[in-house]
Amino acid sequence: MQIQTTSDDHRIAKLAAFAIALHMVEALLPSPLPGVKPGIANIVTLYVLLRYNFATAAWVSILRVFASSLLLGQFLSPTFALSLSGAILSLGVLGLAVHLPKRYFGAVSLSILAAFAHIGGQLLVVRLWLIPHASVAYLIPVFALAALVFGLINGLITAQLINKHQRHDQ
Amino acid sequence: MFASFTQIKNSITHLRIGDWLVIAISSVLVVYLFQHLWSHEHAAKVQIRVGDKVHATYDLNLARHVQVTGALGEAVIHIAHGKARFAKSPCHNQYCVHQGWLNHSGQAAICLPNQISLELIGEKKPYDTLNY
Amino acid sequence: MRKWLTRLLLIALLALGLFTLRSFQQAPLHHSQSYVFGTLVDISIVGETDERAAVLSNHILRDFQQLHQQLHAWKTDKQGKPSELGKLNSAFAQGNAPINLSLQLANMLEDAQALSSQSQGLFNPAIGHLISHWGFHKDEFAAIEIDEAKIASLVKDKPSMADIVIKNHTAYSNNPQVKLDLGGYAKGYALDMAAHYLRQQQVNNALINIGGNIIAIGKNGDKPWRVGIQHPRNPSAIATLDLDDGWAIGTSGDYQRYFMRNSKRYCHIIDPRNGYPVQHTQAVTVLIPPHNKAGVLSDVASKPIFIAAPADKPQAAAKLGITHFMVIDAESNVVITQAMAKKLNWSDANFEKNHHVRVIHTD
Repeated sequence: MQIQTTSDDHRIAKLAAFAIALHMVEALLPSPLPGVKPGIANIVTLYVLLRYNFATAAWVSILRVFASSLLLGQFLSPTFALSLSGAILSLGVLGLAVHLPKRYFGAVSLSILAAFAHIGGQLLVVRLWLIPHASVAYLIPVFALAALVFGLINGLITAQLINKHQRHDQ
Repeated sequence: MFASFTQIKNSITHLRIGDWLVIAISSVLVVYLFQHLWSHEHAAKVQIRVGDKVHATYDLNLARHVQVTGALGEAVIHIAHGKARFAKSPCHNQYCVHQGWLNHSGQAAICLPNQISLELIGEKKPYDTLNY
Repeated sequence: MRKWLTRLLLIALLALGLFTLRSFQQAPLHHSQSYVFGTLVDISIVGETDERAAVLSNHILRDFQQLHQQLHAWKTDKQGKPSELGKLNSAFAQGNAPINLSLQLANMLEDAQALSSQSQGLFNPAIGHLISHWGFHKDEFAAIEIDEAKIASLVKDKPSMADIVIKNHTAYSNNPQVKLDLGGYAKGYALDMAAHYLRQQQVNNALINIGGNIIAIGKNGDKPWRVGIQHPRNPSAIATLDLDDGWAIGTSGDYQRYFMRNSKRYCHIIDPRNGYPVQHTQAVTVLIPPHNKAGVLSDVASKPIFIAAPADKPQAAAKLGITHFMVIDAESNVVITQAMAKKLNWSDANFEKNHHVRVIHTD
């Protein structure tokens, strides 16, 4: 039996594999503060969004979340829930933000907006499900600062990658 | 495949106007969040005043018993687990001791006869002065 | 287009920088605390150098100290001489020969007479003998044995502010049982005095708190001065409110000076009609709009409302023209006027939710 695959599928698989690798590397790295991570796998999502289209980016992102959690043995665990909620919310925001005029808004804008959406989604899960009674309010500023900093850095890296690629194409 | 530091610097110069706007608005948001969500925390310190002078300020999380000499004599103040109270006072009516534990920013216990006051101070005062 | 946008962005960033700077930068606030008037005096001054603020605060504190000595109801000075008020009280007790008094004291007494009659005698600074009998004319008071006959006779003497005759810098009393105690007036008078002095000295922003009675001048930086209202039983605030320029606030509470006897609370606020400490009320807070005697009114006006029976409280307030007040009764129920409720921000969930806040209108 053989499943027909398109070149699109191959592309998605390749990019998702790359995102999964980044995700795994990050999971192994120690974090200065629990929950604060650079989210370098998001670079792949952003890159795909800007190079290809939203649908591909969404596939890559969601595949990455599922596959990584399976590989790390976290499937359906709280970590998975946090990862998924963050990914879905940031995809939602990216889906909207991608319509911003390209002339004024580049990869950095998208990256920062997505990073805020990401922590927003995660905090929502924490508040509603994981520790409903605990006060997470005082953690919000720390996460927001992390989102700004890492969103900016990831955005700059993505912008650089896209630039390089465009030069390469010409 | 990763961009080097100089390349990152290079891409900063290529930031578009909207990118700067997003960075600016996000920064405001982060500053705002820090200001508003870190201000209603429990008190961090207790300030002890004797007469018109600040006698000492202590961290509320380090448990200790402090002896302070006021106008009438020695009072003992207990500090522990983010709270502070008058434990002993030489005053007659013992209102200060009956006040019990203080644990929120802005709360104060005053011993008028012995002229000693405790005030809990946090990131931000919930009010400038107390009407009593 | 691009240039224009860059400029716009620069302006935006500049504004952001200013915003951030401003939010972190605190207007210089000079804060001093002192024990004068047998209570805690707390003065905050904003927008002056530390040196000038210290000079101004010290001047106010000296004035307070002087006023305190002049009006002390039971203490003598270092030479063993009674205060000006003490001398007046001895003269009243000895008969109705006129005695000289300072212009300042004469003005205070005339003002107190007017307020006393306005409150139909519920504010009565002439009942010094009753207060003394209950043991509150001591720094350290204790539970007393209640002498019903003595209290009844002190009430029957009917000491009243109307018994005092003030003429040409002299005063005498038609009733030898009059003993003045300006405990419910002096702090308010001192507030007005201090506010007047600071305004004269071109100080635009300050907050003065004398034993819980507060008057505001200007603002604290870009925000109004914020005042917390003490919980009558716990060491916390039940609510906060913004005290705008010229406004004053005062509270009479049964927790300020009291003793317990057979697990009953006897506070220093005595009903002149029956001679007993009021037991139906825990606290009355009044808020006074800008007025040259706002401080005095913040001190005086809470007393008649405190003393009046629960049903009569709105009337007692109306007689003194008080529109902003809040009553906490013995069961911790809150009664508050609509005008006052608009200004309050509750910080005590029990008072806000579990207690019935009855909004009353005064027109």
